[in-house]
Amino acid sequence: MSQSEGSSFYTTVDVETKLVSVYTPLIYGSLLILSLIIFGSQYRKKQIKELSELKSIFDENEARDLYYELKSKREEDNIHEKVIKAALLNRGAEAVRRSIKLKELSTQIEIIYKNGGIGDDYWKRFQNEVKLVDLEFKETLQEAEMLQPGWVQLFVALSKEICFNQALSRRYDSIARRTETCIKEWNLKLDDNGRLIE
Amino acid sequence: MTTELSYNGNSKQLSIEIDKKYELTDARSINVNQINKLTTAIIGESNPNFTPKPNDNLSKMIRNMFETGIKNMKQNKMQEALKNLTLAIEMSQRKRAPYEAFQIQLQDVQFMLRQKIDLELILGKNLEALQDLEMLLNTGLLDPEIFLRKTDAYLKLKQYNLARVDCERGLSLFPTNPKLKVMLNECNRRLAEYNGDI
Amino acid sequence: MPQNYDYDEGSETWPFFVLTMVLAVLLPMTFIQLKKLFRNKSDEEIELEKVNKTDKLSSISDLLTNKKINKFRSKFESKTSNLFNWTNLFICVGWLVVAMLVQVISNNDKIREAAIGSFDPYDLLGVSVTASDKEIKSAYRKLSLKFHPDKVAKDITEEEKNSLEEMYVQISKAYEALTDELVKQNYLMYGHPDGPQSQTHGIALPSFLVNGLVTPIVVIFYVLVLSLVLPYLVSKWWSKTQSYTRKGIHIKTASHFVDRMINYKPSEIVTVDLIIEWLSHAEEFKLLFPSLNSSDFKRLLYSHINRTSVKDSEEDIKFRIVAKCHRLLNGLLDIACGFRNLEIAMASLDTFKCIVQAIPNTEYSEILQLPHVDKEHFIDNSEGIHTLGKLFTYSDEKIGKILGVKDEQQLKETLSVASHLPILKVIRAEFKVPGEKFVVTSSVPHLNLKLLVRSAKHKYIPIDKFTDELLAEEEDFESQRDPFAMVLEQPLLPYSYAPYFPTKRVNNWYCLVSLQKDNKIIQTPVPVERLSFRNLDKDLDKRLIKELDDKNFDPSEWEIGTFKVPLGQPAPKEKGDAYFRIVLKSTDYFGSDLDFTVEMKVRDPVEEKVEEVYSEEDEDEDSEDSEDEDESDEEDESDSDYTDIDTDTEDEDEDESNEKK
Repeated sequence: MSQSEGSSFYTTVDVETKLVSVYTPLIYGSLLILSLIIFGSQYRKKQIKELSELKSIFDENEARDLYYELKSKREEDNIHEKVIKAALLNRGAEAVRRSIKLKELSTQIEIIYKNGGIGDDYWKRFQNEVKLVDLEFKETLQEAEMLQPGWVQLFVALSKEICFNQALSRRYDSIARRTETCIKEWNLKLDDNGRLIE
Repeated sequence: MTTELSYNGNSKQLSIEIDKKYELTDARSINVNQINKLTTAIIGESNPNFTPKPNDNLSKMIRNMFETGIKNMKQNKMQEALKNLTLAIEMSQRKRAPYEAFQIQLQDVQFMLRQKIDLELILGKNLEALQDLEMLLNTGLLDPEIFLRKTDAYLKLKQYNLARVDCERGLSLFPTNPKLKVMLNECNRRLAEYNGDI
Repeated sequence: MPQNYDYDEGSETWPFFVLTMVLAVLLPMTFIQLKKLFRNKSDEEIELEKVNKTDKLSSISDLLTNKKINKFRSKFESKTSNLFNWTNLFICVGWLVVAMLVQVISNNDKIREAAIGSFDPYDLLGVSVTASDKEIKSAYRKLSLKFHPDKVAKDITEEEKNSLEEMYVQISKAYEALTDELVKQNYLMYGHPDGPQSQTHGIALPSFLVNGLVTPIVVIFYVLVLSLVLPYLVSKWWSKTQSYTRKGIHIKTASHFVDRMINYKPSEIVTVDLIIEWLSHAEEFKLLFPSLNSSDFKRLLYSHINRTSVKDSEEDIKFRIVAKCHRLLNGLLDIACGFRNLEIAMASLDTFKCIVQAIPNTEYSEILQLPHVDKEHFIDNSEGIHTLGKLFTYSDEKIGKILGVKDEQQLKETLSVASHLPILKVIRAEFKVPGEKFVVTSSVPHLNLKLLVRSAKHKYIPIDKFTDELLAEEEDFESQRDPFAMVLEQPLLPYSYAPYFPTKRVNNWYCLVSLQKDNKIIQTPVPVERLSFRNLDKDLDKRLIKELDDKNFDPSEWEIGTFKVPLGQPAPKEKGDAYFRIVLKSTDYFGSDLDFTVEMKVRDPVEEKVEEVYSEEDEDEDSEDSEDEDESDEEDESDSDYTDIDTDTEDEDEDESNEKK
């Protein structure tokens, strides 16, 4: 009575089999690797594109833009060489200003970032900008060398002086606007001689 | 939004149409002005390898104007003296090349501003004196006299809180200065009156 | 082993499956909701209620709040009742579903059958589980006699005969399961005396879903969920958490603020207008109202500050963006402190005041923040009155005339608000190191402020009335271990007087610490959250009292507030002096700010023991507030670690000249 239906130790099992070609695993493997390679290169391209499209830290790049504009119009407008040099010096001075400013900012931005005050997007932009400013200054020096061979050393010294003097000028020129703001904020009534009307 | 850049072949100066709608044209016009100033300065240089060495002629002119001003002051012709000094400072700012040594330009400004401030205070032009004092402070010149004068100017303009803040700063930097201590007491007295505490 | 896939044709298994899923979600949810329903109010809520019960300002504020604002509050403030909300509805529906499933299960015969179908030898033989072998044998004998095919009656149907036969087979099996060793083993291992049965894999799905035409749809459904819906939900959640900074503002707004801070012209004076211009580009505004642009937001903010009316449709928009300004200004303040920029930090706190009280930042703001003031009338007749303190030098009647308040009841309200606006006064400010008498090199000091909260109506109280005994703190072990604990013993600040602000709010003072040397902030702002306003109810009318003497003034009855600010950096390593400018600015009230200087005398620990004998009087001088500036007995200037490289586009000149000197 112990041998009844269901004791399935000794019966053979019928398993379905399918014929698979030898090439199947090869094709599968190569498809996989190919798709990963394509994905990798596309991703890298996208990253580079993103980096180049990152908005600059600074609002504008006028010094640089003006130089290239003048350079391109040089022939048709018959622009004197010294004007181009002036534009290049202006560009150099601006690059010096930006690199000093970024150095000063980097510790502060790092602290703000680590404390969670700004997001990853800004941090990326900032690091990108540091590299760009460096690059910009190097490009400027190359242009200087092209304009006047051997000028580079003097150019750097001149750019530094110009940078500081321009800052002083800007501060001096802002006095008029500051005076206006003070009058408005403090509600001052001044006579023609600049004295307070009692 | 490129504003049209035009070049005048005769004066070798650039100009742009200022479109009040766009804020960035402000930066553009600043840069254009800076380039123009550089152009004027470079055109005057015969040597293409010009250095930051300050122009002796200009220094002499500025000094002369300054001394005329001092003379007028000694003769009690205050308004005249003020005009002279203002002109001297303007000369230093406008006529000197932007690449002339920054130290020299800075010293010009600091030295002459001090006299100008005194004149302005005598003439009762407190707001202008205040602006000049702030500029002096911005250039890094820390001197108890500046704080004294600033506090005085604020008091005369009835900005008692700002007066006290500046006076305290002066005392923090020069804790033993007796005049500042007297000034501080005066500020506190005026503030108490302003707040109805007396 | 034959493998069968036993699909759920008879609805046997899917009810259990669904039931488990539903209960897994429902049980915790129900538990949480029940807990919420019966929980007690948190400690902080109780405290806040207590403080506000006796506070005059908040009651007047509620009284004077605009109808429109009240409507706005009822619309947007989350007043979800604990009983009637969507979660509870979901829970009820969930339990209904559970009931239905239980019905389905119990009604399903096939399930019953399957439950019964398990092989239970004890049950078959009719013996209990603890029966002995003998009992089993006798039970078997009896039953086999009953059910043996040869022994049964002849006149029964074929069916009955078959079932009886089956019964007999079962009984024999049962007997064997309990006695025969081999069979017993099978039973124990496989639950059935005949050994391993055909393995059935039960799948809780009806077969038509897997084998039929619907199969591709099912596959597509799975693919969609796993590779599209799930990643989408996860990425959406992730980007949401990533898009807000720790201070609660959008990262794009934070980027914008940083952009502005780097690019604004440092030569121009910072005004409230500049801050409003920055605020109007906030990403939060754009997300809430995509159809409007920044100039619209600017216009709405200005119309709020100037109390001009806007179109009805824009009313709600205005309230929402004004309410959002709280977070934005906090974020901006934080960023400004990160950039060590004192000007912007102070300007943003001033802007805060303007937005909370809905008045522009002018010299008259202190007075105009009061209710019922006739603006034009007051400005014409101001007679040089700009402060509340000055206002209270006049009689109540005269005040009414100056402010242009005609109605008596209104004047009462105005005076009540004016006399209850908190004004701070520094009694003592010093740097303390717990456990030391003075600030030691390389120690970690904190700033200890003793404040007096007073009303503009009170007579001026000179600081020396508060003796050292009154100001003394507990000097025990606990206080040394945690010096800030005593600050937390003070009551919470009450709701502020802000009838024009869309939401109920609490006034805060933010403490900015900066170095006098370079005028730059050195750490993040610290808010004052606890202070007792008990003094505001005291009567010390400056118009009635000529002089303070023992009869009309007892300093011990006045509450002295304490506020401690931890310093972000340790004291310098060398001895010397450092001066700090401390600014306490209110977020809601004009005229409630403090701005003073505190000296930090850093001394070597050993040296002082010697000096103690000779110069006792120097030890007792603590840095009080600005009125007595302490003389430093050290001649050399401090070489504190606080000096950072001082550069700014403006101060480049400074830097250059410092270098070349």
